[in-house]
Amino acid sequence: MPPVARSPDAPVIETRGLTKVYPNSVGDVPVLAGVDMSIAHGEVVALRGPSGSGKSTLLNILGCLDRPTRGAYVLGGSDVSALTREEQAWVRLHYIGFIFQSFHLLSHATALENVALPLHYARVPRAEAEATARELLARVGLGHRHEHFPSQLSGGERQRVAIARALTGRPPVVLADEPTGALDTKTGAEIMRLLLELRAERSTAIVLVTHDPEVAEYADRQIFMRDGKVVDRAEVADGLRS
Amino acid sequence: MGFGRETWRLALKLIVRQPGRSALTMLGLAIGVGAFIAMVSFGEGARRSVVAQFEVLGTNLIKLQTTNPGINPRARAPMPLSDADVRFIEREATTIAHVLPVARRNAGVAFGGEQRPTWINGVAPGYLSLHAWEIAAGGNFEQTDLDERVKVCLLGKTNVRALFGERDPLGETVTLAGTLPCRVIGVLAEKGFSTNGNDLDDIALVPYTTYNTHLTDRVAYAYVEIEPSSKALLDAARVEVTDIVRRAHGLEGDDPNDFTVSSPSEVIRAADRTARILGTLLAAIAGVSLLVGGIGIMNIQLVSVAERTEEIGVRAAIGASPGQILTQFLVEGLILTLLGTLVGVTLGIGVAMLVAENMGWPRVISPSGVGLSAGFGIAVGLLFGYLPARRAALMDPIHALRRE
Repeated sequence: MPPVARSPDAPVIETRGLTKVYPNSVGDVPVLAGVDMSIAHGEVVALRGPSGSGKSTLLNILGCLDRPTRGAYVLGGSDVSALTREEQAWVRLHYIGFIFQSFHLLSHATALENVALPLHYARVPRAEAEATARELLARVGLGHRHEHFPSQLSGGERQRVAIARALTGRPPVVLADEPTGALDTKTGAEIMRLLLELRAERSTAIVLVTHDPEVAEYADRQIFMRDGKVVDRAEVADGLRS
Repeated sequence: MGFGRETWRLALKLIVRQPGRSALTMLGLAIGVGAFIAMVSFGEGARRSVVAQFEVLGTNLIKLQTTNPGINPRARAPMPLSDADVRFIEREATTIAHVLPVARRNAGVAFGGEQRPTWINGVAPGYLSLHAWEIAAGGNFEQTDLDERVKVCLLGKTNVRALFGERDPLGETVTLAGTLPCRVIGVLAEKGFSTNGNDLDDIALVPYTTYNTHLTDRVAYAYVEIEPSSKALLDAARVEVTDIVRRAHGLEGDDPNDFTVSSPSEVIRAADRTARILGTLLAAIAGVSLLVGGIGIMNIQLVSVAERTEEIGVRAAIGASPGQILTQFLVEGLILTLLGTLVGVTLGIGVAMLVAENMGWPRVISPSGVGLSAGFGIAVGLLFGYLPARRAALMDPIHALRRE
């Protein structure tokens, strides 16, 4: 496994000419056409753009769930653009936390077990893993709901469990795909505030994919995408209008 | 320890929290293993029961008979089995406990104007105990009756009913073959019909000496029943009897035997073989059911992999390696397999005991059968658990998370 250095000076995420091409019967379909971006430690970036602009593909590559066809993806100073599946899993475990629109908690596991799960895969002893999970659940305001199953929790509570789970491994990067998409406005705002607090405490970079301009306003910076490329805000506005 | 033990603990938790699905997965294998154990036990129980029934007929017995001369006109007429043969065997043989000659003919039995045809057997007193034949009333004749050629007889139930009706036959005198008056000293217990439809109770027994003196003009026994001194000597006794009778009949070199020596143990061995074949057949059928049980585990696990696509995707996103996901599904499959096998073994033994109880079979639970089915069950469960586990491990997390 490649040791990914956490040097505070260098950007945590850096991509150069990131390209993704899907072959199909008609020919190759480019989904990402040379994405260059850089995200600093502890920075919150909102990734915006219309459907089909390549946001999801980019997020998958940033999350080491997918590999670019061409180009380089440097995570914490190491190139992670051509790893094996086992190596990708290792990088996800130690460097990336995921937050999803539909929470994706394990329904047969309690809140505590869900939060402790990444530590199980990291082979942290159970007592230690559960202590860490308890601490995090308390931090996201669910100190009293350890033994509840996801079905016994509200949407906002479930997303708090998911946030706690994304942070258990102390990853330098959290990828959040429409984290407020399934929540009402008030709860969504609470979740966003919680994310910003945690970022401040842990200096975790957050990449946020969202359609909601209000949610995007929480970010330090917004990156717009169109046709697999990073573009100016104005171009996207044109595209939406036309 | 850490990860391994945790994996087992988590898998066990998951299984306990979904009792319905877990039970359904185990069901096929449990029934397969149970059926296998039960069927092997049925087969063995039935075999022993069949053999035991044949043993009542006398396992420890050699039957010496005159060969049917057949239709070959040039064949020498076989020499009858005579008193000389019987005495020769008694004197020469070293492996034999008893020699019981049986003479028999079809003749009339009459009483008070009524007459009917029946079988008259001239036998020794040991005949009854050898054939496990009880006496319903009166008693058996004794050695002195044999020595003194006393005119006494035992009647079968059919003759008693036909000639005496409700009256007591004991002490009455019947006429055998129109000429021999015999005092009835006993009534035989009812035996019913033989397998080939003969009425076994249509019979009258007299001492064979009395028979030889009064009911035939030439001593020629229908057959001689010979009991070896021990069961182990059965085969040796057959060889010895053959040798003695050949000498008694003056047969030399290539002369064919003019008699046959057989033993019911051959019948028992044949029955044993038949029952064994049936047992193997049952086991084969049960083996198929075991296989079906294993395929059941595979199917439910495959369905479960499809159902749990989201879960697998989430675990992968969190950082579970393909190896860890494979291990998780294998461990789950293994636990279900072990539980299913355990339930199956319990079920199989229970059913086998119950059936044996009701059928009056000996209760036989063969440890090798239990071991075999348990081993086979676990192997089948693991084999068919691997495929779904592999499918889970190879699943692309992106697609797994997309499917909602």
